[in-house]
Amino acid sequence: MDLYTRRRIANAVVMSLSIGATAFGLLWLVLVLWTLLENGIAAITPALFSQMTPPPGSTGGLLNAIFGSVVMTLIATLVGTPTGILAGTFLAEYSRGSRFGEVVRFINDILLSAPSIIVGLFVYEVMVVRMGHFSAWAGSMALAIIVIPVVVRTTEDMLNLVPNALREAAAALGSPKWKVIVMVSYRAAIQGMVTGVMLAVARIAGETAPLLFTALNNQFWSTNLNAPMANLPVVIFQFAMSPYADWQVLAWGGALLITLTVLCLNIGARALASWSTFKQ
Amino acid sequence: MSPNDTAARLGVPPELSDRGLGSPEAVPSQKAEIRNVNFFYDRFQALKNISLPLHDKRVTAFIGPSGCGKSTLLRILNRIYELYPGQRATGEVLVDGENILEPGLDLNLLRAKIGMVFQKPTPFPMTIYDNIAFGIRLYERLTRSELDDRIEAALRRAALWDEVKDKLRQSGLGLSGGQQQRLCIARAVAVEPEILLLDEPASALDPLSTQRIEELIAELKDDYCIAIVTHNMQQAARSSDYTAFMYLGELIEFDETERIFTHPTQKQTEDYITGRFG
Amino acid sequence: MAADIALVERSAAQQGRAGSLGDTVFRALTFLFALLVLLILGGVIVALVEGALPALRTFGVSFLFSDVWNPVTEKFGALAPVYGTLVTSAIAMLIGIPVAFGVAVFITEICPIWLKRPIATMIELLAAIPSIIYGIWGLFVFAPFVQQYIQPNLIDSLGQIPGFGALFGGPPLGIGVLTAGFILAIMVLPFISSIMRDVFETVPAILKESAYGLGATRSEVVRQIVLPYTRIGVVGGIMLGLGRALGETMAVTFVIGNAHRISVSILQPGTTISASLANEFTEAVGDLYLSSLIALGFILFVITFVVLAIAKLMLLRLQQRAGG
Repeated sequence: MDLYTRRRIANAVVMSLSIGATAFGLLWLVLVLWTLLENGIAAITPALFSQMTPPPGSTGGLLNAIFGSVVMTLIATLVGTPTGILAGTFLAEYSRGSRFGEVVRFINDILLSAPSIIVGLFVYEVMVVRMGHFSAWAGSMALAIIVIPVVVRTTEDMLNLVPNALREAAAALGSPKWKVIVMVSYRAAIQGMVTGVMLAVARIAGETAPLLFTALNNQFWSTNLNAPMANLPVVIFQFAMSPYADWQVLAWGGALLITLTVLCLNIGARALASWSTFKQ
Repeated sequence: MSPNDTAARLGVPPELSDRGLGSPEAVPSQKAEIRNVNFFYDRFQALKNISLPLHDKRVTAFIGPSGCGKSTLLRILNRIYELYPGQRATGEVLVDGENILEPGLDLNLLRAKIGMVFQKPTPFPMTIYDNIAFGIRLYERLTRSELDDRIEAALRRAALWDEVKDKLRQSGLGLSGGQQQRLCIARAVAVEPEILLLDEPASALDPLSTQRIEELIAELKDDYCIAIVTHNMQQAARSSDYTAFMYLGELIEFDETERIFTHPTQKQTEDYITGRFG
Repeated sequence: MAADIALVERSAAQQGRAGSLGDTVFRALTFLFALLVLLILGGVIVALVEGALPALRTFGVSFLFSDVWNPVTEKFGALAPVYGTLVTSAIAMLIGIPVAFGVAVFITEICPIWLKRPIATMIELLAAIPSIIYGIWGLFVFAPFVQQYIQPNLIDSLGQIPGFGALFGGPPLGIGVLTAGFILAIMVLPFISSIMRDVFETVPAILKESAYGLGATRSEVVRQIVLPYTRIGVVGGIMLGLGRALGETMAVTFVIGNAHRISVSILQPGTTISASLANEFTEAVGDLYLSSLIALGFILFVITFVVLAIAKLMLLRLQQRAGG
């Protein structure tokens, strides 16, 4: 076999393997989503949204868990988003070349990929131990700590995309710097920043580990933020690992709910991002 | 080379090549003076000992090849360079007798007095109305109808009113390039400055829009002291009363436009004008 | 006109003072929140060390090397969880890196333009699916499948090779180290592939065109031009994937079997640091038990911090080189 033929075969092999690898990756996506749909659809009944988590061996719903997840996600977003935006603004607008800015950016990116169970441990030590009990507040704070690095990153990236000419034009009119940022830069970057928040929410919607030792779980309906609160991920964890068929069905239902929410947010964020570039 | 030959080579119509100063005031007053200004980008010296006057109600054009420092000089006049660390200026720039390069000076006030229009149109991501109102709202508390009047006046000044009067609530980004640039001019004049700095205002525009901008400048000159940077010599010859020719950070020659383009005293000026370099 | 100017100047002066006050306040505010990011990291370190101290003081360095985990006698050692963490991550890398590379090559070099966006999005959806979903899918669907079809074949084929075969010994349980590692591979491949794609796209077109112009095949251009050019970024992306794999909790917890022991065979159950924490933390009684678990968390934090820091440094170096 001459060199040329060998090269062509090598090329064909590498290319086929690449196609194979992509098919492999997509296969698992389809499999996971398919089985999720298959197993979870049975649980999607009106009862899912109207009844509380049942004791083992009986039927019920996930209302308290859904409520808890929504509440804690909301609080985490309300706390984490402004924090992340302001920190990201500092990195983009005030830290030009400074050592401090570089360090913050570096640390932020590490926190972005850090194990979420460590965040849970941290909030346990700082809040749960101090307060003496588990609580929805602690759970929300753990989720907020996961939101912050995501929002910092996207805010900084989006603000850096705002052309300097726009800032100069505002400054040339005599506008103080904070107005340039708030009234011009934020406005120009708003779509990207909203996308970032959506992606952050999608991330925490499915997070289990940080809630395991902060919000814990609650069998009953509770609106008390100072006490353990039910939430979808921990309920799924508990129910799925159990030997009870009713519980397992509910676990699949909850899993389907979370996945649908996460996928909608992700696809929505992408659609928003490409719509804004299309508009320009 | 006779003056008329030079003028003809540039495409300057003969009637313009011997026009007098022609504007209402026969003797123009000095609005600003640049005195011994040097400028540095970190270690690199971009401007060397520049001194020249800017006359009120006149247009002063800055010409020269790329990198000669003309935009840098313009940006000193409203100290916009101070947004960037590592850039600094020495010397004096006197506006109405006051040195605006003084360290303690209120920059926002300065920029209310000296407006700037940039090379590329920079409409803010807001409605046309809010674009113009932005600058006004920085300084004045007006009633709704007062604001409406000011905005209409600014848009009329910029010859844009008729085209946008029905779409004031639409985004400024939806206008054409030429319209956006006139919006930026309207925005700059809305805060009632005394000096207007135009940094190659038509370089990103098509020829028709360029012509309209030049007509606009001719009108605006009646009320403002205008400094314009342009790489288009014909534009400088057509639109300005005074011209400064710069090269490699130095002011080579400054004179009435007519004289620069017909009797340049420096060889470099003549070479540039006749297209021998740049 | 002069009177108007005076009016403008007066209110502008007020505005000027208000403006600089606004500037100072806003700048201070953004600075504070940027500082908060650092404080969070500092807080994490302090909290973990504080919680781990009792265990570390009791067991000393031997904590790292003991595989005993006995809540009754209160003897704890980190070796089994650490081993499990490292082995599952290693399996995830062994499978995930080649697949991610294949995906990146496909998307950047082979894929028709109109297909690039959808395929890239779908691969990225793999990263969007929460860990717990992989967990229950793994437990109820994947593990039984592996138990029935994959593991018996592995045991019969590779398990029979003397020496090496010990890696595939034992009864087919479905759950175990290999299953966990495999699911981890699927979870981290979108991260690695996304970074690889980004760095592949930074290769200047003229460089590739020069190679094609000499008659190189696509695979040669990728292997000999693209890869060397992006080497640092590729390694950075791999390290990022590793960092994620090391810290992954829920998916692993469901399928690893939660056995505090070290087996040679990767078909056997084991445990990882995060799985131990997830399973045992809320049930732990006794301060030493709790402290040992926190000590495990601290070890995990140190390992992932180092890996992620290296990843970030490499990606920064690539960015500098590209002039970014």
